[in-house]
Amino acid sequence: MSRLSCQIVSLWPQGIWPMGFQHRHREHCLRCQADEARARSMERALVSLRDVTVAAPSYLHAATMARLGTQDAADPRRRLMARVAARYAAAAGVTAATTVALLTGLARRRSRVVG
Amino acid sequence: MTAGEVKRDERELVERARNGDREAFGDLVWRYQDTVYTLATRLVGPDLAADVAQEALIRAWRAMPRFRGDAAFATWLHRITVNTAWTLRRRSTRHQTQQLDEAIVDTGLAPERAGELAELRIGIRRAIGELSAGQRAVVVLRDVHGWSNAEVAHELGITQTTAKVRLHRARRRLRVLLEGPR
Repeated sequence: MSRLSCQIVSLWPQGIWPMGFQHRHREHCLRCQADEARARSMERALVSLRDVTVAAPSYLHAATMARLGTQDAADPRRRLMARVAARYAAAAGVTAATTVALLTGLARRRSRVVG
Repeated sequence: MTAGEVKRDERELVERARNGDREAFGDLVWRYQDTVYTLATRLVGPDLAADVAQEALIRAWRAMPRFRGDAAFATWLHRITVNTAWTLRRRSTRHQTQQLDEAIVDTGLAPERAGELAELRIGIRRAIGELSAGQRAVVVLRDVHGWSNAEVAHELGITQTTAKVRLHRARRRLRVLLEGPR
């Protein structure tokens, strides 16, 4: 197996099409199998962090309780959703403006050729 | 108290908190403040973590009447924490190079593996601290907390493909930081 094909395989994220070539390559490549074993070991270490808890500062409970205020059933995700919506709206705006500019350019060019 | 009793007790506390009982919510804060703070520390670093944890718990209190119990209370609280961390981190530029070393309480370490694992964990925490905020969030939620790609994408407001690509890059970067460039 060439080093180049190993690099291509390692650069390709898992679960993104096309996936078959990664599996086929890894089945026959000892270098990639060793690499995968090292990656798994790191992933196991990451999972083991799940058991580790950082103790919250002693003032957190009192500080939180002092600031509770009233319940208003507000959606805690609303800020993120608003930002995502704004991002999509901006992307749609840019796409629309680009399309209009391209169509206008084409129309002008055609009218110049005809004229 | 058995696991079943704890669960029943928690359900009762959640129900009371949904109806505006501050004392019940205070008990829930006692139970979950460490896990919320831990998640916040991993997402934004120790300097901002207390602010994120506090804000997340306050948002959870405000939103309690919306909580229908479709997911576990802890899961719901973690989602709010992620959302809060994601919105608050933009207000601070301090998170970029923060190390994630903190006084930790280890709850599941077998003594014979303690030294080896502790060393590896220190290395990993340092390496996670070196990642960009986006990569860090994905790797913490997916690899440490075991969320699905769909959940990660949903909570961070990104597509699943973006989540997968970020995760791939984050894992590669972590390996470079832990093993050195190959």
